[in-house]
Amino acid sequence: MDELGVRILAAGTALPGPLIDNATLAKRFELTSLWEEWVDTFVGNRGRHLARDLKTGEIQCTLADLCTTAGGRALTAAGLEPGQVDLMVLASASPDALMPATVNLVADRLGIDGVPTYQLLSGCTGAVQALDVAHKMMLTGRYRTALVLGGDSIAKHFDIDADLSKQSAAEAINGVLFGDGAGAAVLSTDPVPGTSTLRHVSVQLVGRGRPPGQTLEWFGQAELTSGRPPVTEDYKAIEASVPAMTVEAFNDLLGELDWEEEDVDYLLPPQLSGRMTERIIGELSLDRAQNVNCVAEIGNTGNSTPFFQLELAIPRMAAGDRAVAVSVESSKWIKAAFALEVS
Amino acid sequence: METLDEFLEFVYRETGLEVAPAQADASFDDLAGWDSVYLLALLTALEKKTGHRVSLTDALEARSLADIYRTEATR
Repeated sequence: MDELGVRILAAGTALPGPLIDNATLAKRFELTSLWEEWVDTFVGNRGRHLARDLKTGEIQCTLADLCTTAGGRALTAAGLEPGQVDLMVLASASPDALMPATVNLVADRLGIDGVPTYQLLSGCTGAVQALDVAHKMMLTGRYRTALVLGGDSIAKHFDIDADLSKQSAAEAINGVLFGDGAGAAVLSTDPVPGTSTLRHVSVQLVGRGRPPGQTLEWFGQAELTSGRPPVTEDYKAIEASVPAMTVEAFNDLLGELDWEEEDVDYLLPPQLSGRMTERIIGELSLDRAQNVNCVAEIGNTGNSTPFFQLELAIPRMAAGDRAVAVSVESSKWIKAAFALEVS
Repeated sequence: METLDEFLEFVYRETGLEVAPAQADASFDDLAGWDSVYLLALLTALEKKTGHRVSLTDALEARSLADIYRTEATR
């Protein structure tokens, strides 16, 4: 009897508004050419898309809008109708609201109902956590088609009236690193020829005893004037830890599958910034694998990132090809990875 | 800024990094805590204070805070 496998049929993504390059950001916030040069040299992100209009301050689209678009595109690419979905999992660190959960708004708009829906709250590894949940649930044999989504928007944190020249350099950097976006993948237990099988998914918390590398607050009515910073990042800890955690996650996954480095045809590395990704690729130092990156063009899009990478990788992969994706989260230090193989 | 001491006080005010005069000539690789974010903070503050544009390419030629003082802070 064939072992039940879970395949990724297709991926779809969505980005809000036009591409905003560094020159546009600099002009809008009256930053000098020094700032642009610094971003080019040390960050390596050339652009991003933002849900908040930089001129008017209006939010042009919600996370639910972006995820609905991405989900619809993934289903269309997979040749499936929303009514065929029997499981949904969505991951985000920036849902539009705590309730109703964004996954349920997306289900409503896509016309999906009567199925289990789950929403995971996490940073960059959330998308892999969502794939893990869907994968394991589908391996029970009780679900046939899952729509897995990930998305993030910094709209709630992007104050277009902020005087960036008065922010600390570390605070101003966040505005450069991140971009808004959503992605989705359709998973199926049908043995569709030419599609890739999800061979393994791993998620591991390794933050015991470690201070958070990143925090993201939400404020209730009684705390609106608390003065607590909405976002903090320990970028030194992130720079120190993320490359090593990536190498560990990659090697652990290969060990789990008994794959060698030269067996990997495509690497989907963490997408924190252009320069950090270059550094990670350098530390992995894989001779054969082609790198699948998007961060320099669209920024760190958090939970949607792996789906952008899948959307790039899937059309390139041929029979027998293997891909490994790694994601690392600095909130409380989480390593995650997944492997695909086209049969 | 007239003196290196004044410059180092300026560095502390703008970056929070305390650097003793004896460390001013230390290479950035050996300067504890120094990184590119501090560099951006310092150079941005220098632009505002001196009114002169700072070229990052030129500033990256500097190997120490003393070099930055000599080339940028005394303009």
